[in-house]
Amino acid sequence: MEYFTISLFNGVVYGLLLFMVSAGLTLIFGMMGVLNFAHASFYMVGAYLAYSLQKIFGFWPAIVLAALLVGILGMVVEAFFLRRVHRYGHAHELLLTFGLAFIIAELVKLFYGNYPLNYRVPDALNFAAFQVFGTDYPVYRLLMGGISIGMFILIYLLLTRTRVGIVVRSAIYRPRMAEALGHNVPLVFMGVFGVGAALAGLAGAVAGAFYTTNPNMALELGVIVFVVVVVGGLGSLEGAMLASLLIGLISSFAVGIDLSLIDFFGLFGAREWAESVGGVLALKISSLSATIPFALMLLILLVRPSGLMGEKS
Amino acid sequence: MYPSKKLFACLLVLCGVFFATASFGASLKVAIVESLSGPQASTGLLYRTATQYGLDLVNEKGGWNGQPIELLEYDNQGGVTGASEKVKAAIADGAQIIVQGASSAVGGQVTEDVRKHNLRNPGKEVIYMNVGAEAMELTGAKAHFHQFRFSPNAEIRVKALIAAMKEADVLGSRVYAMNQNYSWGMDVEKAVVENADDGGYKVVEKTLHDTNKIQDFSPYVAKIKAADVDTVITGNWSNDLLLLMKAAQSAGLDVRFGTAFLDQPGNIANAGETALGHYVAHPFNMEAAGKAGEEFGKEYKAKTGHYPTYVEPQTVFAMNMLGEALKNVKAEGDSLKVNDLVVAMEKVKYKSPMGEMSMRSEDHQVLLPVAVSVVSKDAKFKVDGTDMGFKPVKVLSAEEAAAPVQEATNIKRPK
Repeated sequence: MEYFTISLFNGVVYGLLLFMVSAGLTLIFGMMGVLNFAHASFYMVGAYLAYSLQKIFGFWPAIVLAALLVGILGMVVEAFFLRRVHRYGHAHELLLTFGLAFIIAELVKLFYGNYPLNYRVPDALNFAAFQVFGTDYPVYRLLMGGISIGMFILIYLLLTRTRVGIVVRSAIYRPRMAEALGHNVPLVFMGVFGVGAALAGLAGAVAGAFYTTNPNMALELGVIVFVVVVVGGLGSLEGAMLASLLIGLISSFAVGIDLSLIDFFGLFGAREWAESVGGVLALKISSLSATIPFALMLLILLVRPSGLMGEKS
Repeated sequence: MYPSKKLFACLLVLCGVFFATASFGASLKVAIVESLSGPQASTGLLYRTATQYGLDLVNEKGGWNGQPIELLEYDNQGGVTGASEKVKAAIADGAQIIVQGASSAVGGQVTEDVRKHNLRNPGKEVIYMNVGAEAMELTGAKAHFHQFRFSPNAEIRVKALIAAMKEADVLGSRVYAMNQNYSWGMDVEKAVVENADDGGYKVVEKTLHDTNKIQDFSPYVAKIKAADVDTVITGNWSNDLLLLMKAAQSAGLDVRFGTAFLDQPGNIANAGETALGHYVAHPFNMEAAGKAGEEFGKEYKAKTGHYPTYVEPQTVFAMNMLGEALKNVKAEGDSLKVNDLVVAMEKVKYKSPMGEMSMRSEDHQVLLPVAVSVVSKDAKFKVDGTDMGFKPVKVLSAEEAAAPVQEATNIKRPK
């Protein structure tokens, strides 16, 4: 029970963090039809900006400002770079964002150096919210989870319940028709890209303090975020939420499972044989916890290529 | 590097080339094959700085055969494939010594490439100077005549850590081994288990996890909590170490960490007060090395801008040992006889600021003193711009720190 409760808490909050980053990515994919390779870089920029700004403005204003600045950066990227290559097709957009990710990583190293920064959770927030079976549960984790849930509700309502949402959705699915009806589609695209980037920036600013802020953080999170978006269904916000939670929980629960294929064979009385073979059979599930999400992605692509909640195109 | 320095270096090299062609005889090229770009570049660049610094020292004392030793740089981009390719390029460019340190996986590739090259090209052998890949097999099953390891290895680090922590009475009786799932991490785990009797503790649980892929260590902390231990011994480095310690702190876990790489630059800054009271076994501690250590540190800082830390000291010592060995190797014809250098290296006795160092001929593992330090505010030298530093707890001499030659070691000496 103890293990179950703690893993549940940990998994859900990690999943919610993944959602914060992947929400923007899946929105942008829905719009452009292209995976934005630089998305995790926005996450990193958010963390670094928040680190610099908090020295001047304090923690909370810095986080909001960092998200806004990354949003503006996203808009600039869309308006001055992506829009220009849009007519050459998806491959060019993809390459552009790919290059951008490298440039951002190098710029960050240039300005902030190669090593992790001392960007930390402020002391005022560094306490335990409650105790689960004698383990402190940090209040900051709850905060990260709360921000993520708030974000989900806000975007969801915005997209489904407001006029802005209708225009955005129509611009995404039927850009020509929306344009013919007098809506400024390029502006909508720029706005969505900016919001997507800002969400990633917000996630970075919040998570950078809790985890580490270093020049590799984009790389470390970038891959798993792609997995989330693919598993959830490209372009689907609800799918991203579902997949984030799923992956968060899987990687959390897998850590405590020390079973291997030997135990599986043991069920059929072939334990000794399996132990003598060793190798792959002796591999524990717990040592693969970070690899399982990728296996899940493979499975989803085989069984349901459009993702859990994705639409078949 | 400053432009003027670069220019000076270029001139030096040009002079070297000029004099070399002007029939002054043989010169020596050393190639560093490191990850100079990409995610692990921060470590790779430290190796480069230290190698350059060490060779400059040797060159100041006259280099080899009256000529400065030349350093060639190759970027292996942090990967095994890149390293393999660059080793070939380095050899083709005339390098006779390959220097590499970051990652035991890469080290395993480099040592195999060097071994095969030497088998296929008798008379044109090259040497692999391993300055930081610490997996046991590199001086065990994979050891060969033309490789040397100048850093401690998993057994040395764990043994020192446990001896010192036990003496300081902070080890406790229940230990958790948390490591990365590849050769280095497995070796640390094995060493923790093997030292259980000497340390008087019980290994309650051991875990191997994916290397530098995990963002959220809280599930692992839950495991440590469940195991109810006093100490966690970990070989983790970089993000895996930081995230583990931070997750433990935020869960309010009262355990002590015994680490191998806590002195990586940026760690203390990032971990903050979380790092206080945790231990590290490392080949150099400026405070422990006394006056000589301080002198070495200040000179290093004057040239590179920072005190030597993490992998830098062992790399500088390695270059100094190379310099000592080269004193006893005469040029034959137009080049260095590599096999003579190997034999000379085995006889080197080098006194580093930490104490006597030598190269064991059975497995070519360096015997070096190891310091065990605790992160404290009382440390003489603060790191990362914080008010904390590494306070030495115990220094083990080279003999005390040494681990026995592995059974798998079988170095075939050329006739």
